[in-house]
Amino acid sequence: MVEPHRHSGVFIARGKEDALVTKNLVPGDTVYGEKKIEVENDGSKIEYRAWNPFRSKLAAAILGGIESIHMKPGAKVLYLGAASGTTVSHVSDIVGPEGLVYAVEFSHRSGRDLINVAKKRTNIIPIIEDARHPHKYRMLVGMVDTIFADVAQPDQVRIVALNAHNFLKNTGHFVISIKASCIDSTAKPEAVFASEVKKMQGEKMKPQEQMTLEPYERDHAVVVGIYRPPPKNKNK
Amino acid sequence: MATQLYVLYEHASGYALFSVKEVEDIGALLPTVERAITDFSLFVTTVKLVSFSPFKSSTNALDNMNSVSEGILHDDLKVFLDNNVPKSDKANVILGIGDPRISATIQDEFGLKCSNSDAVIEILRGLRVHFPNMVKGLTMQGEAKAQLGLGHSYSRAKVKFNVNRADNMII
Repeated sequence: MVEPHRHSGVFIARGKEDALVTKNLVPGDTVYGEKKIEVENDGSKIEYRAWNPFRSKLAAAILGGIESIHMKPGAKVLYLGAASGTTVSHVSDIVGPEGLVYAVEFSHRSGRDLINVAKKRTNIIPIIEDARHPHKYRMLVGMVDTIFADVAQPDQVRIVALNAHNFLKNTGHFVISIKASCIDSTAKPEAVFASEVKKMQGEKMKPQEQMTLEPYERDHAVVVGIYRPPPKNKNK
Repeated sequence: MATQLYVLYEHASGYALFSVKEVEDIGALLPTVERAITDFSLFVTTVKLVSFSPFKSSTNALDNMNSVSEGILHDDLKVFLDNNVPKSDKANVILGIGDPRISATIQDEFGLKCSNSDAVIEILRGLRVHFPNMVKGLTMQGEAKAQLGLGHSYSRAKVKFNVNRADNMII
């Protein structure tokens, strides 16, 4: 039994233990040895892939009850810090054939794996480049609906802001995963999160939601917000 | 005479030059453009396509992409600018470019004034939204295809990726 999740494009497989799953864009193919679940529906088979919250911060945020991930079928997503493309593959499942994922990763080693994932999933555009220099890949990226960032760098808010100024549409959203120890390992995580949120406000980025990723990750938080929010009291 | 602002937009499928409606003061342009981004009909009255030159092949595109990303003036871009930016009144022409590094080279080469002002950045944002609708024969799907092809070839070249071998981790 597979039921749609509150977030469109995400599903829950009911069983002895419930699992978060996405609909496999390339049936028959797995990306990192994750479990496949097949469901028969009126004679046609649909294949889903299990999404492990201990391996993916986005999955952890969904199970933690995040209000919105701002990724849905047909959406365009700029993914910073794509690594080997494991979470990226689930985002590619969510946005589906009509959507696009621009996946930026700096490390060549993970980049090779990312390119391999993108070879099979044609809605992923692999970009092996430093996310600090969006002008280097400005020819490859169109306007996007959402930026997801998991770069674990001390200046990650600046990195997201630079990319948002170039590629994120007005009233588009950002989803940032923050690892406190990567920003400042001496300060309290709560203080780090608060100071990161403060940095965003100076960049036309308006945080809307913040949650920690307990119990899946320690001292991690996800911040969701809107870029260039529409002016207030317009409809009043 | 008022200055004429042109904007160069580098796209995965080719180079495009746009002219921006004459304005007294470039600083005054920013609010207009900010409003126009969300409204296509308003945007096309402010920014007009002058010329679009598609890349000849995927290798040609990759070659140009490598130059653009390093901030180097590629020969194709030189020819494109030479043919399309009016030479008659150079003093009154300003060329808007997304990358300050490339503008220094262009300034030396052509004696053109270049700008990376906020207004230029906003226009480039608008072009990113509306570009497929402004160039004939280019669709959203076509745009994605060009980006996909170029993204793969660019990234592969970066990691010296070999398609025929699954594993070449040991260098």
